[in-house]
Amino acid sequence: MKAAKRTQDVKALELQLTEDSVAPHTVYFKEHIVREHTKDKPQGRTLLVVNVPPYADEKGLINAFREAGSVQSVQLCLKPSTADVKHIMRFIPEEKITTFRAAYIVFKKVAELDKALKLTELQPLNSNAHQMQVGIKKWINEYNSSIILPKTLKENVETFMKQFDENAQKADKKEKELEQEDDEGWVTVTKRGKVQSFARSEKVENKIMQKEEKNKKRKELKNFYTFQIRESKMKHIVSLRQKFEEDKKKIAQIKQSRRFKPF
Amino acid sequence: MVKRDVKTSISEGEGDVQVINENGKRSAEDENKDGPKRVRTKSLYRQPTVNELNRLQETENLFNSNLFRLQVDEIIEEVKVKEKTEKRFLQFFTELKTHLLSIPEDDTEYDLSEQTLFKKLKVKLPLSGKLSKTKCMFKFHKFSNVEIVGSYALGCAINSKLRVDLQISVPGETYTKNDSINYRYHKKRAAYLAYIAAHLSKLENIEELQYSYINGTETKPVLDFKPTGKLGNQLSVRINLLCDSDAYKLHRFSPERNNLREAWLFNENSESNTEVGPPTPCYNNSVLADLTATVNQVFLNEILQKSENLKQAVTLLKIWLRQRNLKVSGHVVALLVAYFVQTKRVNNIMSSYQIVRNIWIALKTSDLDTKGISLCKATDTSPSLEDFHKHFPVVFIDRTGFYNICGQMCKGTYLALKRECVLAVDMLDNGKINSFLPLFMVPVKPLMQFDHILRFKNLKQLKESVLAKTPREAQVNHGIEQLPLVTDVVHSLLAKGLGNRVDLIQQLVDNDFSWPVKKSLDKVRSGYEEKLSFGFVLNPENSINVVEKGPPANLPEAEEFRAFWGDKSELRRFQDGSITETCVWEGESMTERRTVTKQIVDYLMKLKFDINPSDLFHISDQLDSVLARKQWASERVLYVDDSSLTALQAFDALRRDLRQLVQLPLDISAVYGVSPIFSYSAPAPALPRATPHNPWQRASTCLVKDMQRDGLASLPEYTPVCKAILELGHSGKWPGDIHAFRCLKAAFHLQIAERLTAQYSLPTQAYATHIDVLKNGLVFRLEIAHAKEITLLKREMQHGVVKYRESEESVRLQCDTVLMPRLRGALHGLHQKHPSFGPTACLFKRWLSAHLLSPPHFPETVAELMTAAVYMHAAPTQPPASPTVGLVRVLKLLAEFDWQRDMIVLDFNEDMSHEEITELEQKFAASPESAPAVRIVTAYDGPMPSVWSRAGPSANVLARARRLAASALKYLDDALMVGHKDNILGMFVPSYAGYNVLIHLHSALVPHSSERVDQPPKLQPLPEKLTEEIIPVVEFHPVTKYLGELRSAYGDFALFFHDLYGGEVIAVLWKPDIKDDREFQLTNANALKPYSAKGETKYKVNIEALIEDFRILGDGLVKHITVN
Repeated sequence: MKAAKRTQDVKALELQLTEDSVAPHTVYFKEHIVREHTKDKPQGRTLLVVNVPPYADEKGLINAFREAGSVQSVQLCLKPSTADVKHIMRFIPEEKITTFRAAYIVFKKVAELDKALKLTELQPLNSNAHQMQVGIKKWINEYNSSIILPKTLKENVETFMKQFDENAQKADKKEKELEQEDDEGWVTVTKRGKVQSFARSEKVENKIMQKEEKNKKRKELKNFYTFQIRESKMKHIVSLRQKFEEDKKKIAQIKQSRRFKPF
Repeated sequence: MVKRDVKTSISEGEGDVQVINENGKRSAEDENKDGPKRVRTKSLYRQPTVNELNRLQETENLFNSNLFRLQVDEIIEEVKVKEKTEKRFLQFFTELKTHLLSIPEDDTEYDLSEQTLFKKLKVKLPLSGKLSKTKCMFKFHKFSNVEIVGSYALGCAINSKLRVDLQISVPGETYTKNDSINYRYHKKRAAYLAYIAAHLSKLENIEELQYSYINGTETKPVLDFKPTGKLGNQLSVRINLLCDSDAYKLHRFSPERNNLREAWLFNENSESNTEVGPPTPCYNNSVLADLTATVNQVFLNEILQKSENLKQAVTLLKIWLRQRNLKVSGHVVALLVAYFVQTKRVNNIMSSYQIVRNIWIALKTSDLDTKGISLCKATDTSPSLEDFHKHFPVVFIDRTGFYNICGQMCKGTYLALKRECVLAVDMLDNGKINSFLPLFMVPVKPLMQFDHILRFKNLKQLKESVLAKTPREAQVNHGIEQLPLVTDVVHSLLAKGLGNRVDLIQQLVDNDFSWPVKKSLDKVRSGYEEKLSFGFVLNPENSINVVEKGPPANLPEAEEFRAFWGDKSELRRFQDGSITETCVWEGESMTERRTVTKQIVDYLMKLKFDINPSDLFHISDQLDSVLARKQWASERVLYVDDSSLTALQAFDALRRDLRQLVQLPLDISAVYGVSPIFSYSAPAPALPRATPHNPWQRASTCLVKDMQRDGLASLPEYTPVCKAILELGHSGKWPGDIHAFRCLKAAFHLQIAERLTAQYSLPTQAYATHIDVLKNGLVFRLEIAHAKEITLLKREMQHGVVKYRESEESVRLQCDTVLMPRLRGALHGLHQKHPSFGPTACLFKRWLSAHLLSPPHFPETVAELMTAAVYMHAAPTQPPASPTVGLVRVLKLLAEFDWQRDMIVLDFNEDMSHEEITELEQKFAASPESAPAVRIVTAYDGPMPSVWSRAGPSANVLARARRLAASALKYLDDALMVGHKDNILGMFVPSYAGYNVLIHLHSALVPHSSERVDQPPKLQPLPEKLTEEIIPVVEFHPVTKYLGELRSAYGDFALFFHDLYGGEVIAVLWKPDIKDDREFQLTNANALKPYSAKGETKYKVNIEALIEDFRILGDGLVKHITVN
């Protein structure tokens, strides 16, 4: 196996923004090896880079590793993770967080990854063709691109709703299918099915429990036996005592902070 | 009877027996098996004893609450004189007494106008030069006894600054019949005192032998000294001289009699000496005090000596008065209590709480200034109360019927006392606070208590000009004691001039004076200055009236009005048709109207006493300049509350528009403002903008032009938006998925924006999350809120069961869309009730921000809530009426409140019950680690108490803010109460010491940079033509953006501090562990760099790279970075 030959140690190299950066960050990288590789991070071609500075973007990383060879894709994420990223359909995209990130760089060829692992120096992030967007320029761009035409917004809304409706329909269909008896004769009970059931939520559960409790209480007799009366009287005194004890504690606390020295 | 030693009866019970009684099944054998359980049973379920039942009952009936009672017990115990001290003092006193009684007789007669007595005694006479023209011969007669009197004798002394009063009765034969006039009595009394002083100076175990004038009574000095050694730290001793009651007949000193000749006072021909002048009740009163002291002391002893509860009550009242800084002596208090015992309002069977409460109620309703009270049953010989009222502002007659106990009390003091009684009863009746603390534990300082303080820079000049304008009779009455006269005259002038604008005018006199017995008075006095100032508690409504309406022109009173106000008074016709004499003061803006009091005082002092405003010092509006905009101005200076009002008016119009929108699937049912501007508490509120010049535009909004000038980006003026929340009519059709819900919300935003443009041709811009709309040149940002969105965010599945849990996002949304609208409404209401609330909140925010604690370190809402707390829990004072004083109070709250133990409850509409509050208290007390550092609960918080302070301030920030507040208060006290500094903006200047890295920004790019306190005002005029068609660039704040990026990227390594209102520096503080070695992990390798030490590779944080990053991220904004 080719991968076995590769060293598993993490390599550390300095990553400059421009040629004349004085105090660059050190990035650490190694081959991305996990038990189950996903499609977007194929085995043997993926490089995991951590401590990527906040201002670096995908193209910048391609710039940095350009000596190793051509890069197929770059994924930036907050933490290195093995799990497949689930794509939830969002209407409002998640906010971009400026912070240190991890990157998965997928090279086109296996050999290029080998080369990358043997690099002794990284190129700066900025190149003539592409510069990192930072500072005022970035904010201006962000602001300007946040303003969208009503028409565009409308289109966005419509496509999203269409998609959502389709998904919802699919889910409905799936539920309906579940209602059918399966091979062993089991039927899954769902909200819309023929078999009536209650919603399984905390609120409903609590309600049922409360009802039970109430029923229990109704069966009891109160202040009927002498001992009950005696007990209720005692309870009153106990509550008074409890209050007294609490107040005493409070006083002790205030005393501790020497707040009874008025002057 | 209230049982004192109940503690034992509660904690020690007859446990073992009770256990069996109460629970028959349990026998004595297994008591050692389950030890801990038994203990609990013992303490709570034990059979009550009679004592205990009594005590519980008593507390319910006789005391406010259990807590109150326990606190009373504690404080009484705390202030009690220690037994050890008592023993030591007794020993000391016996020695002192023997020494004093060994004073030799002396048969020589001394002429007091010569120095003979001084030569003999080697001790100066405690007399001012003004008395030198009184001639008399003095011969020392030995006294027979020395007694302990006053609070120490009665057992109601307070052990801090304890002073034991001794009295020596001067034998009657010392004075001749004619000595009562022209201060001869006083002169002899002084000589007698000097004689004792000389004798005492030979005693070894005393030190710091001094003469003192108390309350400025120059004619009646006393002798103060301290025992040597440890006892001297505990107490000091005062010797007071009084006169044998058989020396004079009391009626010689009736208020209508004259004892001080006019001719003597004004140095006129002495031949007219025989002529009897106007009555001199004040002079008489000072002699009467000595003559009647014994009678009153006997009377007091009779009533109080054996009554523990009464004594306790006197002690409590004394503590209360001392905390309030009221000049009412313990003697007067004891006599007042005695009076109420005599009239059967209180008795010794009552608990001390009941006595104190009853006395407060009695004083609250008393009218000692018009209906005086007397301890003596009226007889034919004693003068009538009317006679006293003619001459004294406050009348409280003693046992003999001649001496007015409150003769020295100024009306201001009495009114203050009455007012404090009202406040005290209110506090007691407020079940929601622990009223004990504000009543007895919190000292009230002038700077806290008054909205406006008037100080005189040149008291001598004031004295002269006041004396020149007061009638001779009054001067004769007060004799050589001029300050009380001046105080009275100025007080009544201010009272008349300010009328119902003030709730209280109280004089603050500082004239207690002591000096060593061997030094002559006049020499020592040259370096000493008496201080006189007046504190005003303003009436929040009346004090901002610009127009002082007088009587109609045709009435005779009009003449008087004109005479009083001089040229300022003019005839005016009002809208209701009335024509009256009127004074009109300047006040266009709210801030100017707050200075009306100052204008009136300045005018009156100039008019009546010819004192220039420059000789007066007002503590009232020093910080108003911080509330004024520096960059912008309309025709006049623009204050924050004016701009807020403009925004509110525009918002109201917009709200109407929104409600009337048609063709919407759901109607808009409510619109709430949420930005601070809607409660007048935005320090730099949004201002109307002009049409942008040559804008780049998309839809109806300006874009930011990416242009450079001189190498710097040229950015548009920072324009804040005013945020509001829309609520739609009810519908069950909202989707049950959060993303679909948001999509639908966006669709609504679109539609509302479209309709607004179509119906009212307002420029709008719809976004997925909000709508921007332009109205009257201001940009409003509207967002639809729906409870379902919060529910959807909370929703999560666990084992197939849907559960609702708070998440960070759901809490934030709930705060923004549900809690904030209500809170903002409540704060707006608070501002309407107390118009200084908004400006005070602005000042506080500015102050916090100036010290680099701007949000998120100290969130805005927490600052607002703290300010609100000052207004809602003003006890022991009333809510402040001016922003400057308001800020002082907020700082005081911040610095002195016990944040660790207590919480503040802001119950705007009295919705919370006592039980709920107690429950919350217990909840916080149960888990002190999870509770936020600042605990402020509002009635709206519901299941998330103190939600606003969850995110901040942290314990560290709070500690820093408290330290800063404490030093700011000290600075203010020095500048205002000691010095006469009008410029106190120094408290808004931050210190950059102690920070690791300073990032300097280009000032041209920093929003509000010209609003900073150290910047000169620019005052650009506001645009006349407002933008109508295009929404300007809004909420584009490069510094906030930059800070946001810094905090999210480097929050693990450093803290970033900045002044939101124009700060050009970002101060960076590394976290304390920044230099430590780190462990390298793939998941946690941020900003680490390898280095080799001893052959090993170690990792640490790459600080140089971080600093480089600061420069990279702030490209175009950062000027330079300095590393300390």
